[in-house]
Amino acid sequence: MAKVFLMIDGRQVESEPGKTILEICRDNGIDIPTMCHLDGLTDVGACRLCLVEVEGVSKLLPACTTRIQANQVIHTQTDKLKKYRRMITELFFAERNHICAVCVSNGHCELQELGYKVGMNHVHFHYLNQKCDLDASHPWYVMDHNRCILCTRCVRVCAEVEGAHHWNVMNRGVQARVISDFNTPWGESITCTSCSKCVEVCPTGALWSKQTLQGKMEKHPEKIAELMEKRKMSL
Amino acid sequence: MKPKRNLDREFSRTDPCVKLVIDKIEKENYRPDALIEILHVAQNAYGYLPMEVLSFIAKELRLPPSRVYATVTFYHLFSLKPRGDHTCLVCTGTACYVKGAQAILEELENKFHLKPGEVTCDKKLGLRTARCIEGCGLAPVVVVDEEVLSNVKPEEINDKVLAKMGVKV
Repeated sequence: MAKVFLMIDGRQVESEPGKTILEICRDNGIDIPTMCHLDGLTDVGACRLCLVEVEGVSKLLPACTTRIQANQVIHTQTDKLKKYRRMITELFFAERNHICAVCVSNGHCELQELGYKVGMNHVHFHYLNQKCDLDASHPWYVMDHNRCILCTRCVRVCAEVEGAHHWNVMNRGVQARVISDFNTPWGESITCTSCSKCVEVCPTGALWSKQTLQGKMEKHPEKIAELMEKRKMSL
Repeated sequence: MKPKRNLDREFSRTDPCVKLVIDKIEKENYRPDALIEILHVAQNAYGYLPMEVLSFIAKELRLPPSRVYATVTFYHLFSLKPRGDHTCLVCTGTACYVKGAQAILEELENKFHLKPGEVTCDKKLGLRTARCIEGCGLAPVVVVDEEVLSNVKPEEINDKVLAKMGVKV
């Protein structure tokens, strides 16, 4: 297949056409922070962390859902983008209750890592202090909406990989919540297969296994990519 | 091929509204992407969307329950709670807000003890707000049932609503 050449951060890169900007950047060792993206799942462009500047386009484009074109000039690490990434991270923290010291995922949390990576030292926004529920009705797992950042990885992994479609997002805007079935308790669900894939892919401590101590919840979201790879091979 | 019918016969016979929903589902040939059209019919039949009807629709269309619930909660037109015989919709868009939509809401709250989204105890009147109904030249706008009231003054809104409800002032 014909190769496509483009410039990313002043470096010439070649690639096959049809790939996304994020894939090219990852292939070439250029680091773009992401939250909702997970290898093996479809991209939705929800978190806006992977926004990049493309010369000739007036708005910022999400790298995960934008396909490359020949001779594009892309900037991924400008001061403007870094500022926006820090701002988005702060908004994640301000929306709900993210207190690392009492969280099961402390030390293994993608949101926490992101905070360090983008150089967030404090939150410029007012905390919303929303009152969210905690659903511990499932015999093995807990859903804590206070720590959810609505990346919808759990929704996609359940629908696309497990095929159960147990999760979805209800309402809009600040009232949006991840729900199970008809907003019924997880433990009473008729669709959940208790496969734990949603727990594995959750980037924060929103989904966790019961009887886990503070800071002891280690997750393995990379399993999903492996799983999808194996499925392709078996076909 | 049509999917096998898996519905509770008791549920379908007791309620004439269910007949309308079933007719619509059959007309749409059980297509899952006709969900919104079917929800519209159910909402018109019942005035709101009862949970057992949602679960029935999900079962018939072979849709995951969470998808049906997410669709219903995403669109403001659908309601999970009974809406009352009469509805009063106050526009709180920019123009109406500047022209005093808040005073109208306060007046209604004093009279009917209603906050936006609520229904009176006797289910006679429901109060809702809208972002903008694109009648900014008529601001502030209130829609009572189907009638659009323009340039509404806070002191006259209660009488107009009561008149619409058929209550003698």
